[in-house]
Amino acid sequence: MASKQAVDRRDEDEVCPVCKSSRYLNPNMRFLINPECYHKMCESCVDRIFSSGPSNCPVAGCRKTLRKNRFRAQTFEDIGVEREVDIRRRVMHILNRREEEFDTKRNYDDFLEQREEMIANLVSRIDVAKTEAQLKQYALENEQSIRANQALEEQEATSFQARMTLEQEEAQRRRQIARQEYENERRELQAGREDFLTRLAAGTSADAGTIAREGSKVHLKKSSARRSEEERIRQKQAALRGSETKRGGASTPAAAGPADSGLIKGLRKIKTPEPEKPYDPFMGFVPEKRDYFTLQESYPSSFLERQRQNQMASAGGYDLREYYSRTLLEAFAGLGVFVGDEVSKRDAEKVSPPAATEGAAMVAGNEK
Amino acid sequence: MIEDTIYRTSSQYRVWSYTEESLQSLRASTNTIASDRVRVTLRRTRDAPQSATGTPQPGSDVDSKEEKPIDCLTPEEELVFVRYYCESLLELGDEYKPPLPTTLRATAIQYLRRFYLTNSPMTYHPKKIMACALFLATKTDNYYMSLQKFSEAIPGSPSAEEVIAPEFLLMQGLRFTFDIRHPFRGLEGGIMELSAIAEGQGQPTPILPHQTAQSLKQALLSIAPPPTPSSSITDRIGRAHNGTRELLKTAAQMTDAYFLYTPSQIWLSAFLLSDRPLCEFYLETKLGGPIIPSTNSDSDPSTPLDPLVELRTKLSKVLSDCSALLQGYTPLSSDPAQIKNLKRIAKKHYKCQNPEGLNMAQKRDSAQPPTSASATDSGPATSESETERLAKKRKLEEQKRGAQDLFGGELVPDRTKGQ
Amino acid sequence: MAASPFASRSPSITVASPNTAIRLKAAAAQSGSESTDVKTSSQSHGELTEQLNDSVAQNYERGKKLGEGTYAVVYQGHRRDTATTVAIKKIKVNADYKDGLAMDAIREVKYLQELSHPNVIALHDVFSKNENLHLVLEFLPGGDLEMLIRDQNVQYGAADIKAWMGMLARGVWFCHENFVLHRDIKPNNLLIAADGEVKLADFGLARSFADPYLNMTHQVITRWYRPPELLYGARQYSGAVDIWSMGMVFAELLLRVPFVAGNSDLDQIAKISEAFGTPNKDNWPGVEALPLYIETDKNSIIPTSGRDFFLRQFPTAGPVGADLLMSMCTLDPRKRITAVQTLRHDWWTIDPQPTKNADLPRKRKSAEKKMGEDLSRRGGEIGISDGPFKNAARQLDFGGK
Repeated sequence: MASKQAVDRRDEDEVCPVCKSSRYLNPNMRFLINPECYHKMCESCVDRIFSSGPSNCPVAGCRKTLRKNRFRAQTFEDIGVEREVDIRRRVMHILNRREEEFDTKRNYDDFLEQREEMIANLVSRIDVAKTEAQLKQYALENEQSIRANQALEEQEATSFQARMTLEQEEAQRRRQIARQEYENERRELQAGREDFLTRLAAGTSADAGTIAREGSKVHLKKSSARRSEEERIRQKQAALRGSETKRGGASTPAAAGPADSGLIKGLRKIKTPEPEKPYDPFMGFVPEKRDYFTLQESYPSSFLERQRQNQMASAGGYDLREYYSRTLLEAFAGLGVFVGDEVSKRDAEKVSPPAATEGAAMVAGNEK
Repeated sequence: MIEDTIYRTSSQYRVWSYTEESLQSLRASTNTIASDRVRVTLRRTRDAPQSATGTPQPGSDVDSKEEKPIDCLTPEEELVFVRYYCESLLELGDEYKPPLPTTLRATAIQYLRRFYLTNSPMTYHPKKIMACALFLATKTDNYYMSLQKFSEAIPGSPSAEEVIAPEFLLMQGLRFTFDIRHPFRGLEGGIMELSAIAEGQGQPTPILPHQTAQSLKQALLSIAPPPTPSSSITDRIGRAHNGTRELLKTAAQMTDAYFLYTPSQIWLSAFLLSDRPLCEFYLETKLGGPIIPSTNSDSDPSTPLDPLVELRTKLSKVLSDCSALLQGYTPLSSDPAQIKNLKRIAKKHYKCQNPEGLNMAQKRDSAQPPTSASATDSGPATSESETERLAKKRKLEEQKRGAQDLFGGELVPDRTKGQ
Repeated sequence: MAASPFASRSPSITVASPNTAIRLKAAAAQSGSESTDVKTSSQSHGELTEQLNDSVAQNYERGKKLGEGTYAVVYQGHRRDTATTVAIKKIKVNADYKDGLAMDAIREVKYLQELSHPNVIALHDVFSKNENLHLVLEFLPGGDLEMLIRDQNVQYGAADIKAWMGMLARGVWFCHENFVLHRDIKPNNLLIAADGEVKLADFGLARSFADPYLNMTHQVITRWYRPPELLYGARQYSGAVDIWSMGMVFAELLLRVPFVAGNSDLDQIAKISEAFGTPNKDNWPGVEALPLYIETDKNSIIPTSGRDFFLRQFPTAGPVGADLLMSMCTLDPRKRITAVQTLRHDWWTIDPQPTKNADLPRKRKSAEKKMGEDLSRRGGEIGISDGPFKNAARQLDFGGK
């Protein structure tokens, strides 16, 4: 039994499950997988089946439509692990809230737990449709913050790399400087001694004390100058590092508000704007953004022809574009507002926690 | 969607949007309060006919019906009664030269409808409120004319003071929100955009960027034929435009559409009734996918859907509900059964008017001395001779319910029939 | 989509929903002891409408009088539950206006009910009490821009002007985004909140953009801030009219005196021509079609002012600021910059950065009183009551045919 299994496993590695060609005949054979279904097949099968466009997975019982460009080499030996890693990567790409975006550590931990649960659900195929829908909605509603956090992550990754390289270079430079310094010192010491000796040899004995003192003074001066030079460099480097971290701090995510769907709880409500942020004349409002239509410069309308021709109106500044913009906005304003749902929710909210107004109204009512 | 967020800031959404249930219970409680007051007041005047109010009950009421409980209007009856005056308002607009704009009339009608959500026609007679509502609409809709000129055009030529007397009361009933979001301008926008598509100048919807002017035009030209054949796509759009506009002027005004739906949903529902395939095409260019599934739209509610799919599903339900509401409307005047019912209600209303309510409307106007005309109006008891009555009855039968009756001293049909 | 630019009104300031009243009513009706109360209240208040109104009115306590004008009395007040300070503007019943509530009040209420923005004065509530209309407005104790411009003890610079103009431009942009023309922008309608924020106030002349073929009145905007197209009697116009006024405020902030201060409508046109050039069919095609246009004698035509003029006249603004001002003061309204374009201008992002609200110059003396005066004034009036300003935009013919 045991031996048979072993043979099987080797077969798996050695024989393409689709075309059955074996590594024995084709030693360069590479296996590829597609994250759609994770069925393994050899490179030549992929070329053969999918080159002319998307097609169904050839593995019996699997009818998933696969695209060639999604095939890739397997990273992990276990296909289950491979799939989990893929799912994890995808979910973490969307649910990429950062610790600093949460009110409390507790909320952040809850978020992490929730994310793990969703990943686990997807991996073990529990509530897949529901989880996917949640993800999709979240992605839609938090597009901005997701993008901001992704950018931030990337930036951190690159700056981490940059810092590593920088540190290495610096260490190397420091070592070199130290070596150089030692060398210089040694040379100067030697030169000084030689000078001292020649002067001693040339001068009178009375001068000997002065000369000796002088020599050591020069030596001192030089090394202190060197020390202050070193200090200056060090300070400069520290300042550079400091400004770098500051810059990193300034670009902390401009969190696009808490998620509408309420998937994630405990997000920091208001992000205090960084004082360094550049002045936004619109103060966060997005001008002229529309979701249901794209405003055109002009629309065909025979009704408006006379207005267009009206010279007095146009000289007065009357602008039909204002009318277009208004009619189109009004055509769609509230299209997705479901009064029935929203109003009953609104009324319900007003009842349950007696809000300030409600409380006052109640009191006022009872006083009568 | 940003357009929806914008709509949510409007007072129409914040203050004047209801569910069917909340609308119903609001009307019921308005009715209950008013009925209680009517009973209290009428009983009191009856107990002391020579009271200082100076409005003794008509003789017939005092002798025969003393012990009878006072029969008040039901909320449904109130609604029909108010609707009659809304329809009259529509006609009243034609009395002006030039006729008052459609949106202005619609504003006045909505004022009247909003006012009677928290006020009962038993307390304030709609015929007194309606002219004021129309005048207020001329002010809020920037179609200003002097009160004098305005009053002169009203059949029966009420005095300017009479017209303006309930203004404050009306504004209070409107909770001091004067802006009404109508569906008319939105319809124009939709039609302009459809025309642009027909001419190959369509622009892709932001959420569906793959659309091109060509693909949009092609799709438009390949939709199912209209209910009535048309010579060209322009012609078809034009017809749908007119049909929709007509519905918006009438059905949308006389039903609860404004309370239950948003202006864009209202015009699209009316559009759906005018040219279903064209409307469905238009919605698909906006939201993708088939908007109104051919099969039952009941999808499994347990699994959350793609937001766009969810939006489409909800919208299709709302649009078909709203369409049904609009379609179910027939003008009172065109339906003998409804006229009969209205007459019955008017007769009943005559007996359960709150005389105090009318007085109150005058007290509010204390700055101006009550004119003789309004004094006559305030008490239901007027000494009309039998001949006058007969004359009025004849006149009435001749014109059925011409605009002249609207602001004549009384709502004549009921009074004459009542005796 | 998630980050909505339109701040929805905080529920604490919206009027109580009618459904509340139903509950009030139901609660009252249920307990037998209270049913008598209902009866007594029904005599003085009665209808549901009035009960709703009273529940709003009871939320506020009126305090000292801040100011009184021909049109209104303004009081300081506060909310009973939150102790928030508010301004309560009591509209006077106008004895000489026979046609019901005056248009100023109607317009102000209509538009403020719909507009909610940090740079537009907030209307918290409206209620009636003793047959008077009361508007509950945001309390703005910081006075107005006019005070700061006139007060020689107040020093301010380019960065402060940029901050104030930014707030003004956002307020105007928001109105236009909601298709509302303010039609009375001037320094004393720009009130200042306790935190330094500038708020557009007095919507007594506001109206929504006119649909095609509909006329508006040209008798709006206080003369010194009135654009040439209105002086020429245009009956169809656009948001450009407010932009001109904004340009005039900008110029006044820079110069600390009104820039073009005519003492009649004709003089105003003459002063505009002197400053910016004579309107003619070259710089403003079609201008001759406007009803009140007067052809200028060929010899006295003043050439259109270019960038140099603005740079020379307004050195404080710097070249980019002068460019923005110039595009706001373009004679031809079609070529004038729009509100959105204004906010997209480079001037906002170049140095100096606009001053933070907390650091803006302010004046403490009797600023509250100023709010009272500003709010009780009728639209189109100017603070000073003598001579040249008396008839500024007083006669309103309301535009309709």
